[in-house]
Amino acid sequence: MTTNKETLIQVTDLQKSFKNLDVLKGITTDINKGDVVVVIGPSGSGKSTFLRTLNLLEVPTSGTIMFEGVNITDKHVDINIHRQKMGMVFQQFNLFPHMTILKNMTIAPIKLLKKSKEEAEAKAMELLKRVGLEDRAEAYPSQLSGGQKQRIAIVRALCMEPDVMLFDEPTSALDPEMVGEVLQVMRDLAKDGMTMVIVTHEMGFAREVANRVMFIDEGVIMEEASPEDFFNNPKSDRLKDFLSKVL
Amino acid sequence: MNSFKEKFIQNFIEEDRWMYLVNGLKTTLIITVLAVLIGIALGFVIAVIRTTHDKTGKLKFLNLIAKVYLAVVRGTPVVVQLLIIWFVVFAYPTASLLVAAVITFGLNSAAYVAEIFRSGIMSIDNGQFEAGRSLGFNYIQTMIYIVFPQAFKNVLPALSNEVVVLLKETSVAGYIGVQDLTRGGDIIRSRTYEAFLPLLAVAIIYFTIVTVLTWLISKLERRLRNSDH
Repeated sequence: MTTNKETLIQVTDLQKSFKNLDVLKGITTDINKGDVVVVIGPSGSGKSTFLRTLNLLEVPTSGTIMFEGVNITDKHVDINIHRQKMGMVFQQFNLFPHMTILKNMTIAPIKLLKKSKEEAEAKAMELLKRVGLEDRAEAYPSQLSGGQKQRIAIVRALCMEPDVMLFDEPTSALDPEMVGEVLQVMRDLAKDGMTMVIVTHEMGFAREVANRVMFIDEGVIMEEASPEDFFNNPKSDRLKDFLSKVL
Repeated sequence: MNSFKEKFIQNFIEEDRWMYLVNGLKTTLIITVLAVLIGIALGFVIAVIRTTHDKTGKLKFLNLIAKVYLAVVRGTPVVVQLLIIWFVVFAYPTASLLVAAVITFGLNSAAYVAEIFRSGIMSIDNGQFEAGRSLGFNYIQTMIYIVFPQAFKNVLPALSNEVVVLLKETSVAGYIGVQDLTRGGDIIRSRTYEAFLPLLAVAIIYFTIVTVLTWLISKLERRLRNSDH
Protein backbone atom coordinates (compact mmCIF):
# COMPACT_ATOMS: atom_id res chain seq x y z
CA MET A 1 0.00 0.00 0.00
CA THR A 2 2.58 2.53 1.05
CA THR A 3 6.23 2.49 0.16
CA ASN A 4 7.16 4.82 2.96
CA LYS A 5 8.82 2.54 5.51
CA GLU A 6 9.71 5.04 8.20
CA THR A 7 9.20 3.27 11.51
CA LEU A 8 6.88 5.10 13.87
CA ILE A 9 6.52 2.61 16.70
CA GLN A 10 9.01 -0.13 17.36
CA VAL A 11 7.86 -2.77 19.84
CA THR A 12 10.45 -5.19 21.18
CA ASP A 13 9.69 -8.26 23.27
CA LEU A 14 6.75 -6.64 25.01
CA GLN A 15 5.49 -8.54 28.04
CA LYS A 16 2.69 -7.74 30.44
CA SER A 17 1.55 -9.70 33.46
CA PHE A 18 -1.32 -9.01 35.82
CA LYS A 19 -0.36 -10.72 39.07
CA ASN A 20 0.11 -14.34 37.97
CA LEU A 21 -1.56 -13.97 34.61
CA ASP A 22 0.76 -13.47 31.63
CA VAL A 23 -1.28 -11.50 29.13
CA LEU A 24 1.45 -10.51 26.69
CA LYS A 25 4.25 -12.99 26.28
CA GLY A 26 6.75 -11.21 24.09
CA ILE A 27 5.42 -9.11 21.23
CA THR A 28 7.82 -7.69 18.68
CA THR A 29 6.65 -5.64 15.74
CA ASP A 30 7.22 -2.38 13.89
CA ILE A 31 4.46 0.00 13.00
CA ASN A 32 5.41 2.16 10.10
CA LYS A 33 4.21 5.58 9.13
CA GLY A 34 1.00 5.25 7.12
CA ASP A 35 0.33 1.71 8.26
CA VAL A 36 -3.22 0.67 8.99
CA VAL A 37 -2.74 -2.31 11.26
CA VAL A 38 -5.82 -4.25 12.27
CA VAL A 39 -5.38 -6.49 15.28
CA ILE A 40 -7.80 -9.36 15.69
CA GLY A 41 -7.98 -12.27 18.05
CA PRO A 42 -10.29 -14.08 20.44
CA SER A 43 -11.37 -12.33 23.62
CA GLY A 44 -8.78 -12.62 26.33
CA SER A 45 -6.01 -12.98 23.76
CA GLY A 46 -4.27 -9.80 24.89
CA LYS A 47 -5.06 -7.70 21.83
CA SER A 48 -6.60 -4.83 23.79
CA THR A 49 -3.81 -4.98 26.35
CA PHE A 50 -1.29 -4.78 23.50
CA LEU A 51 -2.99 -1.64 22.17
CA ARG A 52 -3.17 -0.06 25.61
CA THR A 53 0.50 -0.64 26.28
CA LEU A 54 1.37 1.35 23.14
CA ASN A 55 0.50 4.61 24.91
CA LEU A 56 1.32 3.18 28.31
CA LEU A 57 -2.22 3.12 29.66
CA GLU A 58 -0.98 -0.30 30.67
CA VAL A 59 2.62 -0.23 31.80
CA PRO A 60 4.45 -3.20 30.30
CA THR A 61 6.18 -5.61 32.64
CA SER A 62 9.17 -5.79 30.33
CA GLY A 63 10.20 -4.98 26.79
CA THR A 64 10.53 -1.63 25.06
CA ILE A 65 8.40 0.63 22.94
CA MET A 66 10.20 3.17 20.79
CA PHE A 67 7.90 5.93 19.59
CA GLU A 68 9.37 8.39 17.12
CA GLY A 69 12.83 7.39 18.24
CA VAL A 70 12.17 7.76 21.98
CA ASN A 71 11.98 4.83 24.35
CA ILE A 72 8.69 5.68 26.06
CA THR A 73 8.95 2.70 28.40
CA ASP A 74 11.92 4.45 30.02
CA LYS A 75 10.80 5.65 33.45
CA HIS A 76 12.49 9.03 32.98
CA VAL A 77 10.53 9.86 29.85
CA ASP A 78 7.59 12.23 30.27
CA ILE A 79 4.88 10.05 28.76
CA ASN A 80 2.36 12.90 28.73
CA ILE A 81 4.28 14.68 25.96
CA HIS A 82 4.26 11.55 23.80
CA ARG A 83 0.64 10.71 24.48
CA GLN A 84 -0.26 14.02 22.86
CA LYS A 85 0.97 12.50 19.62
CA MET A 86 -0.95 9.24 20.07
CA GLY A 87 -4.69 9.64 19.75
CA MET A 88 -6.84 6.99 21.37
CA VAL A 89 -10.44 5.97 20.79
CA PHE A 90 -12.20 3.75 23.31
CA GLN A 91 -14.98 1.23 23.05
CA GLN A 92 -17.06 3.25 25.52
CA PHE A 93 -16.32 6.60 23.80
CA ASN A 94 -15.43 8.28 27.08
CA LEU A 95 -16.56 11.73 26.09
CA PHE A 96 -16.57 14.18 28.98
CA PRO A 97 -20.25 14.43 29.94
CA HIS A 98 -19.91 17.78 31.72
CA MET A 99 -18.60 19.58 28.65
CA THR A 100 -20.15 20.53 25.34
CA ILE A 101 -18.87 18.76 22.23
CA LEU A 102 -16.81 21.82 21.34
CA LYS A 103 -15.28 21.95 24.83
CA ASN A 104 -14.57 18.21 24.68
CA MET A 105 -12.58 18.83 21.54
CA THR A 106 -10.79 22.04 22.49
CA ILE A 107 -9.81 21.54 26.12
CA ALA A 108 -6.69 19.50 25.38
CA PRO A 109 -5.38 21.70 22.53
CA ILE A 110 -5.97 24.81 24.64
CA LYS A 111 -4.45 23.49 27.86
CA LEU A 112 -1.69 21.31 26.42
CA LEU A 113 -0.76 22.77 23.05
CA LYS A 114 -1.38 26.32 24.33
CA LYS A 115 -3.57 27.11 21.37
CA SER A 116 -5.82 30.15 21.55
CA LYS A 117 -9.52 29.45 22.05
CA GLU A 118 -10.29 30.80 18.57
CA GLU A 119 -7.65 28.67 16.91
CA ALA A 120 -8.69 25.50 18.74
CA GLU A 121 -12.37 26.09 18.00
CA ALA A 122 -11.72 26.78 14.33
CA LYS A 123 -9.85 23.50 14.05
CA ALA A 124 -12.59 21.66 15.98
CA MET A 125 -15.33 23.10 13.76
CA GLU A 126 -13.42 22.08 10.67
CA LEU A 127 -13.17 18.51 11.97
CA LEU A 128 -16.83 18.49 13.03
CA LYS A 129 -17.76 19.54 9.52
CA ARG A 130 -15.73 16.67 8.14
CA VAL A 131 -17.75 14.14 10.14
CA GLY A 132 -21.03 15.95 9.52
CA LEU A 133 -21.67 17.00 13.12
CA GLU A 134 -20.96 20.73 13.01
CA ASP A 135 -24.52 21.44 14.16
CA ARG A 136 -23.88 19.53 17.41
CA ALA A 137 -20.97 21.69 18.60
CA GLU A 138 -22.94 23.12 21.52
CA ALA A 139 -24.67 19.85 22.44
CA TYR A 140 -23.70 17.69 25.38
CA PRO A 141 -22.58 14.07 24.90
CA SER A 142 -25.79 12.68 26.44
CA GLN A 143 -27.76 14.28 23.62
CA LEU A 144 -25.89 12.27 20.98
CA SER A 145 -26.36 8.77 19.60
CA GLY A 146 -23.66 6.17 20.08
CA GLY A 147 -22.40 6.54 16.55
CA GLN A 148 -22.26 10.31 16.91
CA LYS A 149 -20.42 9.98 20.21
CA GLN A 150 -17.79 7.76 18.68
CA ARG A 151 -17.32 10.08 15.72
CA ILE A 152 -16.82 12.92 18.19
CA ALA A 153 -14.35 10.80 20.16
CA ILE A 154 -12.35 10.30 16.98
CA VAL A 155 -12.25 13.96 16.05
CA ARG A 156 -11.51 14.92 19.65
CA ALA A 157 -8.36 12.84 19.40
CA LEU A 158 -7.59 14.38 16.00
CA CYS A 159 -7.70 17.87 17.49
CA MET A 160 -4.34 17.08 19.08
CA GLU A 161 -2.93 16.41 15.60
CA PRO A 162 -1.59 13.00 16.55
CA ASP A 163 0.92 11.00 14.50
CA VAL A 164 -0.84 7.72 15.20
CA MET A 165 -4.38 6.77 16.19
CA LEU A 166 -5.12 3.80 18.42
CA PHE A 167 -8.63 2.30 18.27
CA ASP A 168 -9.75 -0.09 20.98
CA GLU A 169 -12.80 -1.91 19.59
CA PRO A 170 -14.38 1.37 18.44
CA THR A 171 -17.59 -0.18 17.12
CA SER A 172 -18.18 -2.92 19.70
CA ALA A 173 -20.49 -0.85 21.89
CA LEU A 174 -22.56 0.47 18.98
CA ASP A 175 -25.96 -0.53 17.70
CA PRO A 176 -25.44 -2.32 14.38
CA GLU A 177 -26.92 0.48 12.29
CA MET A 178 -24.39 2.94 13.68
CA VAL A 179 -21.29 0.91 12.95
CA GLY A 180 -21.13 2.08 9.35
CA GLU A 181 -20.89 5.79 10.09
CA VAL A 182 -17.96 5.25 12.45
CA LEU A 183 -16.15 2.93 10.04
CA GLN A 184 -16.62 5.53 7.32
CA VAL A 185 -14.80 8.14 9.40
CA MET A 186 -12.00 5.66 10.01
CA ARG A 187 -11.87 4.77 6.34
CA ASP A 188 -11.48 8.45 5.42
CA LEU A 189 -8.81 8.81 8.02
CA ALA A 190 -6.87 5.90 6.55
CA LYS A 191 -7.22 7.41 3.10
CA ASP A 192 -5.67 10.62 4.39
CA GLY A 193 -2.60 8.61 5.36
CA MET A 194 -3.10 8.48 9.12
CA THR A 195 -1.15 5.73 10.86
CA MET A 196 -3.67 3.57 12.67
CA VAL A 197 -3.67 0.57 14.95
CA ILE A 198 -7.14 -0.88 15.29
CA VAL A 199 -8.40 -3.64 17.53
CA THR A 200 -11.70 -4.73 16.05
CA HIS A 201 -14.00 -7.57 15.14
CA GLU A 202 -15.00 -5.95 11.85
CA MET A 203 -13.46 -8.42 9.42
CA GLY A 204 -14.86 -6.69 6.36
CA PHE A 205 -13.28 -3.45 7.45
CA ALA A 206 -9.96 -5.21 8.06
CA ARG A 207 -10.01 -6.73 4.63
CA GLU A 208 -10.85 -3.46 2.94
CA VAL A 209 -8.83 -0.84 4.80
CA ALA A 210 -5.89 -2.51 6.53
CA ASN A 211 -2.54 -3.00 4.90
CA ARG A 212 -1.53 -5.43 7.64
CA VAL A 213 -3.67 -7.76 9.70
CA MET A 214 -2.33 -9.20 12.90
CA PHE A 215 -3.69 -12.22 14.74
CA ILE A 216 -2.92 -12.16 18.44
CA ASP A 217 -3.63 -15.22 20.53
CA GLU A 218 -2.35 -16.34 23.91
CA GLY A 219 -0.26 -13.21 24.24
CA VAL A 220 1.79 -13.50 21.06
CA ILE A 221 1.42 -12.49 17.44
CA MET A 222 0.47 -15.85 15.96
CA GLU A 223 0.29 -14.66 12.44
CA GLU A 224 0.58 -11.48 10.43
CA ALA A 225 -0.05 -10.88 6.77
CA SER A 226 -1.58 -8.63 4.16
CA PRO A 227 -5.38 -8.80 4.28
CA GLU A 228 -5.56 -10.98 1.15
CA ASP A 229 -3.16 -13.59 2.50
CA PHE A 230 -4.53 -13.33 5.99
CA PHE A 231 -8.10 -14.12 5.06
CA ASN A 232 -7.52 -16.33 2.01
CA ASN A 233 -4.45 -18.32 3.03
CA PRO A 234 -4.28 -18.48 6.82
CA LYS A 235 -1.30 -20.58 7.86
CA SER A 236 -1.68 -21.52 11.51
CA ASP A 237 -4.42 -23.87 12.62
CA ARG A 238 -5.44 -21.44 15.35
CA LEU A 239 -6.15 -18.72 12.82
CA LYS A 240 -7.95 -21.11 10.47
CA ASP A 241 -10.07 -22.20 13.37
CA PHE A 242 -10.72 -18.60 14.47
CA LEU A 243 -11.63 -17.43 10.98
CA SER A 244 -13.97 -20.35 10.45
CA LYS A 245 -15.88 -19.19 13.50
CA VAL A 246 -16.08 -15.47 12.77
CA LEU A 247 -16.42 -15.33 8.98
CA MET B 1 -54.31 32.24 77.59
CA ASN B 2 -53.30 34.90 80.02
CA SER B 3 -50.83 32.61 81.67
CA PHE B 4 -49.27 31.83 78.25
CA LYS B 5 -48.90 35.53 77.58
CA GLU B 6 -47.36 36.03 81.00
CA LYS B 7 -44.97 33.17 80.49
CA PHE B 8 -44.03 34.42 77.04
CA ILE B 9 -43.25 37.86 78.42
CA GLN B 10 -41.38 36.38 81.33
CA ASN B 11 -39.23 34.08 79.16
CA PHE B 12 -38.48 36.28 76.19
CA ILE B 13 -39.29 39.92 76.87
CA GLU B 14 -38.25 40.55 80.46
CA GLU B 15 -34.62 41.57 80.81
CA ASP B 16 -34.31 41.18 77.03
CA ARG B 17 -34.01 37.41 77.45
CA TRP B 18 -34.68 36.89 73.72
CA MET B 19 -31.19 38.22 73.17
CA TYR B 20 -29.85 34.92 74.55
CA LEU B 21 -31.46 33.23 71.56
CA VAL B 22 -30.28 35.84 69.06
CA ASN B 23 -26.69 35.78 70.29
CA GLY B 24 -26.81 32.00 70.61
CA LEU B 25 -28.03 31.70 67.04
CA LYS B 26 -25.23 33.97 65.88
CA THR B 27 -22.68 31.76 67.62
CA THR B 28 -24.24 28.59 66.21
CA LEU B 29 -24.14 29.98 62.69
CA ILE B 30 -20.55 31.20 63.04
CA ILE B 31 -19.41 27.79 64.30
CA THR B 32 -21.31 25.99 61.55
CA VAL B 33 -20.07 28.16 58.68
CA LEU B 34 -16.43 28.14 59.77
CA ALA B 35 -16.51 24.41 60.55
CA VAL B 36 -18.02 23.70 57.14
CA LEU B 37 -15.22 25.64 55.46
CA ILE B 38 -12.56 23.77 57.43
CA GLY B 39 -14.35 20.48 56.83
CA ILE B 40 -14.57 20.97 53.07
CA ALA B 41 -10.97 22.14 52.69
CA LEU B 42 -9.44 19.44 54.86
CA GLY B 43 -11.90 16.79 53.71
CA PHE B 44 -11.00 17.51 50.09
CA VAL B 45 -7.28 17.15 50.81
CA ILE B 46 -7.85 13.85 52.63
CA ALA B 47 -10.04 12.55 49.80
CA VAL B 48 -7.39 13.44 47.21
CA ILE B 49 -4.71 11.68 49.24
CA ARG B 50 -6.85 8.58 49.63
CA THR B 51 -7.93 8.35 45.99
CA THR B 52 -4.46 9.11 44.67
CA HIS B 53 -3.18 6.26 46.78
CA ASP B 54 -5.94 3.94 45.60
CA LYS B 55 -5.40 4.83 41.95
CA THR B 56 -1.62 5.06 41.75
CA GLY B 57 -0.22 3.37 44.86
CA LYS B 58 1.66 6.58 45.74
CA LEU B 59 1.42 8.61 49.00
CA LYS B 60 1.52 5.49 51.16
CA PHE B 61 2.50 7.32 54.34
CA LEU B 62 -0.01 10.17 53.96
CA ASN B 63 -2.70 7.63 53.19
CA LEU B 64 -1.92 5.80 56.38
CA ILE B 65 -2.20 8.99 58.41
CA ALA B 66 -5.47 9.83 56.68
CA LYS B 67 -6.88 6.39 57.40
CA VAL B 68 -5.99 6.60 61.09
CA TYR B 69 -7.49 10.08 61.26
CA LEU B 70 -10.75 8.92 59.70
CA ALA B 71 -10.95 5.90 61.98
CA VAL B 72 -10.38 7.94 65.14
CA VAL B 73 -12.74 10.78 64.27
CA ARG B 74 -15.51 8.54 63.05
CA GLY B 75 -15.02 6.07 65.86
CA THR B 76 -15.46 8.50 68.77
CA PRO B 77 -18.35 10.78 69.81
CA VAL B 78 -18.08 14.41 68.86
CA VAL B 79 -18.75 15.46 72.47
CA VAL B 80 -15.68 13.54 73.60
CA GLN B 81 -13.65 15.16 70.83
CA LEU B 82 -14.91 18.57 71.94
CA LEU B 83 -13.94 17.92 75.55
CA ILE B 84 -10.51 16.68 74.52
CA ILE B 85 -9.84 19.69 72.30
CA TRP B 86 -10.91 22.12 75.03
CA PHE B 87 -9.54 20.53 78.18
CA VAL B 88 -6.49 18.69 76.79
CA VAL B 89 -5.35 20.47 73.63
CA PHE B 90 -6.46 24.01 74.55
CA ALA B 91 -5.64 23.47 78.19
CA TYR B 92 -5.12 27.11 79.11
CA PRO B 93 -7.76 29.53 80.43
CA THR B 94 -7.18 32.36 77.96
CA ALA B 95 -8.10 30.27 74.92
CA SER B 96 -11.27 31.07 73.05
CA LEU B 97 -14.17 28.70 73.50
CA LEU B 98 -15.45 29.62 70.08
CA VAL B 99 -12.16 28.73 68.42
CA ALA B 100 -12.10 25.38 70.18
CA ALA B 101 -15.62 24.64 68.98
CA VAL B 102 -14.88 25.70 65.39
CA ILE B 103 -11.77 23.53 65.29
CA THR B 104 -13.49 20.52 66.81
CA PHE B 105 -16.48 20.60 64.48
CA GLY B 106 -14.24 21.44 61.51
CA LEU B 107 -11.92 18.51 62.15
CA ASN B 108 -14.87 16.25 62.83
CA SER B 109 -16.75 17.24 59.70
CA ALA B 110 -13.60 16.86 57.58
CA ALA B 111 -13.63 13.11 58.20
CA TYR B 112 -17.17 12.75 56.92
CA VAL B 113 -16.66 15.18 54.04
CA ALA B 114 -13.51 13.27 53.03
CA GLU B 115 -15.50 10.08 52.63
CA ILE B 116 -18.19 11.93 50.68
CA PHE B 117 -15.62 13.38 48.28
CA ARG B 118 -13.84 10.05 48.01
CA SER B 119 -16.95 8.17 47.05
CA GLY B 120 -17.69 10.92 44.53
CA ILE B 121 -14.27 10.66 42.93
CA MET B 122 -14.36 6.87 42.88
CA SER B 123 -17.82 6.94 41.30
CA ILE B 124 -16.42 8.51 38.13
CA ASP B 125 -15.83 5.83 35.52
CA ASN B 126 -12.18 5.00 35.01
CA GLY B 127 -12.70 5.53 31.28
CA GLN B 128 -12.98 9.27 31.97
CA PHE B 129 -9.61 9.17 33.64
CA GLU B 130 -8.08 7.15 30.81
CA ALA B 131 -9.54 9.45 28.18
CA GLY B 132 -7.93 12.41 29.92
CA ARG B 133 -4.58 10.69 30.22
CA SER B 134 -4.66 9.49 26.61
CA LEU B 135 -5.05 13.09 25.43
CA GLY B 136 -1.82 13.90 27.23
CA PHE B 137 -3.11 15.40 30.48
CA ASN B 138 -1.03 14.45 33.50
CA TYR B 139 -2.61 12.98 36.64
CA ILE B 140 -3.32 16.33 38.30
CA GLN B 141 -4.70 17.98 35.15
CA THR B 142 -6.94 14.99 34.51
CA MET B 143 -8.29 15.25 38.04
CA ILE B 144 -8.85 19.02 37.86
CA TYR B 145 -10.40 19.26 34.40
CA ILE B 146 -12.23 15.97 34.12
CA VAL B 147 -12.75 14.03 37.33
CA PHE B 148 -13.35 16.67 40.04
CA PRO B 149 -16.03 18.67 38.22
CA GLN B 150 -18.09 15.51 37.66
CA ALA B 151 -17.40 14.19 41.16
CA PHE B 152 -18.36 17.48 42.78
CA LYS B 153 -21.68 17.53 41.02
CA ASN B 154 -22.37 13.98 42.19
CA VAL B 155 -21.61 14.67 45.84
CA LEU B 156 -23.36 18.02 46.18
CA PRO B 157 -26.52 16.53 47.75
CA ALA B 158 -24.53 14.48 50.27
CA LEU B 159 -22.34 17.47 51.00
CA SER B 160 -25.34 19.70 51.65
CA ASN B 161 -26.78 17.08 53.93
CA GLU B 162 -23.55 17.09 55.91
CA VAL B 163 -24.03 20.83 56.47
CA VAL B 164 -27.47 20.20 57.94
CA VAL B 165 -26.11 17.46 60.19
CA LEU B 166 -23.26 19.66 61.31
CA LEU B 167 -25.57 22.54 62.15
CA LYS B 168 -27.53 20.31 64.50
CA GLU B 169 -24.41 18.70 65.94
CA THR B 170 -23.03 22.05 67.08
CA SER B 171 -25.78 22.02 69.73
CA VAL B 172 -23.42 20.06 71.98
CA ALA B 173 -20.97 23.00 72.06
CA GLY B 174 -22.55 24.01 75.37
CA TYR B 175 -20.70 21.09 76.97
CA ILE B 176 -17.58 23.24 77.19
CA GLY B 177 -19.56 26.41 77.89
CA VAL B 178 -19.97 27.89 74.42
CA GLN B 179 -23.11 30.01 74.46
CA ASP B 180 -24.71 28.71 71.29
CA LEU B 181 -28.40 28.59 70.48
CA THR B 182 -29.10 25.52 72.61
CA ARG B 183 -27.22 26.94 75.55
CA GLY B 184 -29.06 30.26 75.09
CA GLY B 185 -32.39 28.52 75.57
CA ASP B 186 -31.01 26.62 78.50
CA ILE B 187 -29.84 29.82 80.17
CA ILE B 188 -33.34 31.25 79.94
CA ARG B 189 -34.70 28.06 81.46
CA SER B 190 -32.30 28.33 84.38
CA ARG B 191 -33.39 31.96 84.99
CA THR B 192 -37.15 31.51 84.69
CA TYR B 193 -37.50 27.90 85.86
CA GLU B 194 -39.66 27.42 82.80
CA ALA B 195 -38.44 24.70 80.41
CA PHE B 196 -41.14 24.41 77.80
CA LEU B 197 -41.17 27.79 76.06
CA PRO B 198 -37.44 28.48 75.75
CA LEU B 199 -36.64 24.97 74.56
CA LEU B 200 -39.58 25.02 72.15
CA ALA B 201 -38.26 28.28 70.77
CA VAL B 202 -34.82 26.74 70.30
CA ALA B 203 -36.29 23.73 68.54
CA ILE B 204 -38.37 25.93 66.25
CA ILE B 205 -35.34 27.98 65.27
CA TYR B 206 -33.27 24.87 64.41
CA PHE B 207 -36.20 23.39 62.57
CA THR B 208 -36.74 26.53 60.54
CA ILE B 209 -33.11 26.78 59.49
CA VAL B 210 -32.92 23.08 58.62
CA THR B 211 -36.15 23.27 56.64
CA VAL B 212 -34.97 26.28 54.67
CA LEU B 213 -31.60 24.63 54.02
CA THR B 214 -33.24 21.39 52.93
CA TRP B 215 -35.52 23.30 50.60
CA LEU B 216 -32.56 25.13 49.09
CA ILE B 217 -30.74 21.82 48.66
CA SER B 218 -33.62 20.12 46.89
CA LYS B 219 -33.93 23.15 44.63
CA LEU B 220 -30.23 22.96 43.85
CA GLU B 221 -30.48 19.24 43.21
CA ARG B 222 -33.32 19.75 40.79
CA ARG B 223 -31.37 22.40 38.94
CA LEU B 224 -28.36 20.10 38.72
CA ARG B 225 -30.50 17.28 37.43
CA ASN B 226 -31.95 19.53 34.76
CA SER B 227 -28.48 20.46 33.55
CA ASP B 228 -27.41 16.85 33.82
CA HIS B 229 -25.86 16.15 30.50
